[in-house]
Amino acid sequence: MRKFLGVCLLAAAIPAWAHHSFAAEFDVTKPVKLEGTVTRMEWINPHSWIHMDVKNPDGTVTSWMIEGGSPNALLRRGFTKHSLEPGTQIVVEGYQAKDGAARANGRDLTFPDGKRLFLGADAGEKTPDDKPSEK
Amino acid sequence: MAHRRITLTVLTCLFAVASLAAAQGLAPAAKAAAKPAPATATAAPSLTADGQPDLQGYWTNTTVIPLERPKELADKAFFTPEEAADYAKRQLATPEATGPGTYADVHYNMAQFGLEKSQTKVAANIRTSLIVDPSDGRIPSMTPEARQRNAERAAKNKGHEFDAAENRSLGERCILWPNEGPPMMPVGYNSNLQIVQGPGYVAILQEMIHDVRVIPTNGSPHLPSNMRQWMGDSRGHWEGDTLVVDTTNFTGQTAFRGSSENLHVVERFRRVDADTVLYQFTVDDPSTWTHSWSAEIPMTKIQGPIFEYACHEGNYGMANNLSGARAEEKKAEKQPGAK
Repeated sequence: MRKFLGVCLLAAAIPAWAHHSFAAEFDVTKPVKLEGTVTRMEWINPHSWIHMDVKNPDGTVTSWMIEGGSPNALLRRGFTKHSLEPGTQIVVEGYQAKDGAARANGRDLTFPDGKRLFLGADAGEKTPDDKPSEK
Repeated sequence: MAHRRITLTVLTCLFAVASLAAAQGLAPAAKAAAKPAPATATAAPSLTADGQPDLQGYWTNTTVIPLERPKELADKAFFTPEEAADYAKRQLATPEATGPGTYADVHYNMAQFGLEKSQTKVAANIRTSLIVDPSDGRIPSMTPEARQRNAERAAKNKGHEFDAAENRSLGERCILWPNEGPPMMPVGYNSNLQIVQGPGYVAILQEMIHDVRVIPTNGSPHLPSNMRQWMGDSRGHWEGDTLVVDTTNFTGQTAFRGSSENLHVVERFRRVDADTVLYQFTVDDPSTWTHSWSAEIPMTKIQGPIFEYACHEGNYGMANNLSGARAEEKKAEKQPGAK
């Protein structure tokens, strides 16, 4: 049994497989925390992209693109194109693109009150076998 | 930090792993110790309108079982149902081991996007590896020819990984994913497929990454050997209640785990109950492995539909990876001592 448990721990350390190399796209030395307003969401594969406007300290506004997961799984959990409407305030923590553009990975996405985006009380509790529904 | 939640889904999966696998006769060696089949295991539907065994529906081959048996379990082909449940629980419940600021951390939180296995249905299995032959549950040794071929391929790309799109993997390029096969391997997420049958054909729609295999079962021969395809040329026939699919004519670039264009795959699909298709395959390539090898992967029923996954549509990551590499190169040029 000890041998069995050891294997379990070993296997658990294997990271999840992604569509592409995130470390090649984003810079681990450039963590960002962005607070802003959703302008649109691209529900496209292999990765969804959230567009948001972020107000800079000098009053100017920068439009950021945030890379997220495949929308298919979100759709299966009940989300629709109406689930993240323009105008929604969100907070994104992630890492900026290596080429310096206003792009980042959406490592953790929350609402300003700290509630996790996409893991809300309604849609987040749905199972894959639940019928997708319009919100 | 990613937090994997133990939801009702997971508990359902665990019950499935513990009971459904034992009930399906997937593990003869362990069956004697298994509890009687639960009432939920129902008989397989009989035939399609035109008399074929009915494999139709939506399926997932998502699994927590590794392709190759861990060496520590070399002499153990099957878990007991209790061990299988414990193994699955640990696989599904352990948070991702990523620390802030590490390379592994430069990623989104998979759970937020519903991409963790704990959030999906997992196909029941009490094997310790998907490979069932050879008996050690591991891929046979590569031939010297194959080792040299793969080493040369790797050496050719070394240092040029981000030169252009052609240097990137088939998956990143939206050309082919392992789940598409053949053989059809489970992948990390969206590992879903649909089987549709018609007179003389079986079609398999794979969610990742958007291909359909149209398999003739009308007795037609393989394509001429000079016609090569990424997914090979598949021809099927029925042996009793089992669909047998023979695939040849692969390209050398398909390289399934280092295989050559001589790869030959034989797949077997059998509906073992209403909720399960047992998928088995044997791969043979004398140019690559010293022996053929076989695996067995239960596919469990899910509710449809399969969602479109138009991989090229939003593959911004390809351009972003390459532009990231160009930025790195410029940065290196500015370093003191750079040429």
